[in-house]
Amino acid sequence: MTDIHGLAGAYVLDAVDDVERAAFGRHLRDCETCGVEVAELREAIARLADPTWSVPPPALRDAVLAEISRTPQERPGRGGRDGSAAGDRWRRRVAAAAAAVVLAAAAGTVTWAIQEQRVRDARTDVTAARDEVARIGAVLAAPDAVVRTGAVPAGGRVTVVASAGRDEGVALLSGLAVPVAGRVYQLWLIEGGTATSAGLLPAGRGAATVLLDGVRGKVTFGVTEEPAGGSSAPTTTPLVALPVT
Amino acid sequence: MTHGDNAGDPTAPAGDGPGLRAVPDPVSDSRAEADGLLRAVARGDEAAFEQLYAIVAPRVYGLARRVLRDPAQAEEVAQEVLVEVWRTAARFDPTRGSATAWVFTIAHRRAVDRVRSEQAGAERARRVAASSGTTPYDEVVEEAAARLERQQVRRCLAALTEVQREAITLAYYGGHSYREVAGLLDTALPTVKTRMRDGLIRLRDCLGVELGR
Repeated sequence: MTDIHGLAGAYVLDAVDDVERAAFGRHLRDCETCGVEVAELREAIARLADPTWSVPPPALRDAVLAEISRTPQERPGRGGRDGSAAGDRWRRRVAAAAAAVVLAAAAGTVTWAIQEQRVRDARTDVTAARDEVARIGAVLAAPDAVVRTGAVPAGGRVTVVASAGRDEGVALLSGLAVPVAGRVYQLWLIEGGTATSAGLLPAGRGAATVLLDGVRGKVTFGVTEEPAGGSSAPTTTPLVALPVT
Repeated sequence: MTHGDNAGDPTAPAGDGPGLRAVPDPVSDSRAEADGLLRAVARGDEAAFEQLYAIVAPRVYGLARRVLRDPAQAEEVAQEVLVEVWRTAARFDPTRGSATAWVFTIAHRRAVDRVRSEQAGAERARRVAASSGTTPYDEVVEEAAARLERQQVRRCLAALTEVQREAITLAYYGGHSYREVAGLLDTALPTVKTRMRDGLIRLRDCLGVELGR
């Protein structure tokens, strides 16, 4: 490891100067394990803030809440890079350009409205996907997460991570045989004699990562093959059943 | 609020301590809660921000006060930090760490930036150069030690070697650069860098810090 890497400790303690910070930042981009080390050391260092606990002046709360109510937020972006902000600007510009053309034509108002709706839908989808990734990450990191994994006899593997505290779980299905046409995999959370559907895989899919809601109090996670569209209760023997507690 | 570095009786803020300690590991509960709240804040949820404020503001303010040793400046920096949390919440990536670590990383950085800009002048340089380590060093380490009482981090800091512990507390609570720390401890620069990193790795292992996997 090069000399620069020795700066990891000083770097996360904010004990380096600007030149060193920039140099270490460049080093981080080329060194994946360093990124993990820095993240873990940051996590440890943040705990050093615990003993500084001190009652803030009441005026601070009022001032902060007043300021945030008039402070716009950055659009969701990736790791602070401004790619997505630029993307938003680009989309707005495209929409504006489309609007100009349409207005000039004075005929396609409906088309423009539909396109704009599609831009909004795409944006909503992206936000939802990012939110789901964040929730999955949070489940995996939950201190009470329980991890169970099992092989499917016909091939493939299913892993379930469940956090009662978050009342959420994540199911990872990999390498399952693709179901025949008209059939899909359905996920279940089971408690007593009751199975609650926890989602359907799209047709033709034998692998997926699925966020599970409402794992608290459930005993078993199972996967069955069902007719397309899913069933209200399992109609076949589970391919795999895993405890979630 | 009284003035001076020792204004807060170190045990006073921890006055909540006994109650909190009755519950197993409340800190990790609030850490997990903070993750969810920060993600809600990223979606513009002001109510979630108020809840997050309750969890992090005492440490954001406390940390700024520890580093800056000035309640008025600490209040300003804490306000900057908390508004930045609101503004940039979407940058938080839960796969790379907890929400509280994300917030306190911003808070420490802002506090240190302020210290450096305030004290970039000759005064701080002179004080550091002239010091054989006694004044600022003892102050920081003593205060830090007092505040660490009854905390899990104290156990873990105590498990470090003396040089590791001193290097880390001087940098973190004192806002000193590693060059200043080397001067204060009268230790060679490469040694200080190594002690900081080794000490933090031990601290990480002792605290059981692990990223989601």
